[in-house]
Amino acid sequence: MRAIVTIAVREVRGLFHSPLAWTLLAVLFAICAYMFNAGVLSYQIQMVEYQAYGMRGGLPLTERTIAPMLGNAAILMLLLMPLISMRLIAEEKRQGTWPALASSPLSPMTIVLGKYLGLLLFLAIAIGLLAIPPLTLYPFGNPDTGQFLAGLLGLFLTAAAFGAVGLAASSATENPNVAAVISFGVLLMLWILSWMGNASGGQVDKMLAYFSLMNHYQNFLMGVVSSADLIYFVLLSASGLLFARQRLMAERIQG
Amino acid sequence: MTETMIRISGVSKRFGPIAAVDGIDLEVRRGEVVGFLGPNGAGKTTTMRMLSGLLAPSEGTIAVAGVDVLENPVEARAKIGFLPENPPIYGEMTVREYLDYLATLRRVPRAKLTQSVNRAMERCGLTGVANRLLRNLSKGFKQRAGIAQAIVHAPDVVVLDEPTVGLDPIQIREIRALIRELGGEHSVLLSTHILPEVRMTCQRVAVIHQGRIVADDTLDALEKRAHGRSIHFARWRNLPSPEALRMVPGVADIHPRDEGWLIGALPEFDPVPELLRLSVSEGWDLRELTPAGGSLEEIFLQLTTREERPEEGEETTP
Repeated sequence: MRAIVTIAVREVRGLFHSPLAWTLLAVLFAICAYMFNAGVLSYQIQMVEYQAYGMRGGLPLTERTIAPMLGNAAILMLLLMPLISMRLIAEEKRQGTWPALASSPLSPMTIVLGKYLGLLLFLAIAIGLLAIPPLTLYPFGNPDTGQFLAGLLGLFLTAAAFGAVGLAASSATENPNVAAVISFGVLLMLWILSWMGNASGGQVDKMLAYFSLMNHYQNFLMGVVSSADLIYFVLLSASGLLFARQRLMAERIQG
Repeated sequence: MTETMIRISGVSKRFGPIAAVDGIDLEVRRGEVVGFLGPNGAGKTTTMRMLSGLLAPSEGTIAVAGVDVLENPVEARAKIGFLPENPPIYGEMTVREYLDYLATLRRVPRAKLTQSVNRAMERCGLTGVANRLLRNLSKGFKQRAGIAQAIVHAPDVVVLDEPTVGLDPIQIREIRALIRELGGEHSVLLSTHILPEVRMTCQRVAVIHQGRIVADDTLDALEKRAHGRSIHFARWRNLPSPEALRMVPGVADIHPRDEGWLIGALPEFDPVPELLRLSVSEGWDLRELTPAGGSLEEIFLQLTTREERPEEGEETTP
């Protein structure tokens, strides 16, 4: 356990020693804040129009401002997470630091978990940042806190699953760029599976729709935290980690 | 002092159809510094990577301080410190952070961490640069940091893969002194193809060639194997024919090198006086007559050129 935390802490520090992490956080925050702003403005206009027709009550605030921002944030994560996760193992191999880790008394799973925990810590920081714009609604409106938190949890789980896929890709190659391309490709496929899934109502399509990341994430954005979706994300992440562990073990045998 | 710290028995490593290491046996006792010699590609690095847990052997068993690396890989790695060919340096860390990090991963208790790191830095001459970023240090300091990480957790066995490559002569001397010092406390397996390094640091030598151990003995014994067989390098202005040289009593074989001849003597013969006499009487006009290479070099050449002779005049050592 001490080893896992030690690896994780070094990983986060290493990330923040490179301009990459800072740049990614800045880009992520800027774009999300802009989208949130745009969402709030269009909500205002819609409210005015809505009330002009003499309708009573209001439009759902959270669903029209926070949820779209978090939805778009997930797409940004799809682009950005491969850039963070690509370095996890591949970079150590390229820099020649891998032998120091691999000759330490650590099981492959310890290394994988340490790397992954480091990634999750970084992710927690990123998502903490993304929680700031919606918080500015509270003095002026009455956002649905439950839905907001469910959305954040969904984003965290989605990005965590992205990271696990990225870690698996990073374990499969010595070239971080290749790792990024692989994980981006896999994630995009997982994301758009639902396009095909929604096309018709056949059994295969239903299955594809189940595997689609987007469908599961949508539920969180609507404020629904269901065990089916939680299990989906946990399974996806666990598969990524197990793949990475298998790769590291096989590497010892094959060379 | 006779406890076996490294026991490699019948170990092979195949990469596809190629056997990089082919059934080797090697033992290193506590406190010994063993030189692991061999030409490039002979299997030194593969053996060391197997020993350090980076690779699993295809066949055979390896035990580090009595722990089998296949049955109990994590525990075996706790007993080893490994410096790979290129020092495994995290550029964005300071020397102290780096050693703290790896010492923690190698189970140095929290209470002893500072003490262990300080001691490793002291031994490797890193105390003065403790708070500098590794990225900004010279190659020599990086190499020392690499050695420091291999000893920071006081492992029973230290494995060093070509620790002096790329260093300047002063650094090389310091690193060699350090390696000599490491023996006694740790068991050291040191790969190199610099023969004088072996003479200065090692008590025992194992020579690997084409994946097999072709010699494993103390330096003295290996040199006795040469058994008084002297080798000289001679250069004349009027180069005598090989036939004429072979006629000299005691001359066993000759090889051309650098516009002169390497002259190997028969055991317990000294052809030098006769060579000198002939140089004068035959008017060969001697320019140079020096003991060549040292017997270790000769042994190495004998052991590693059995199958294919090197090109005439080729230097096998840098």
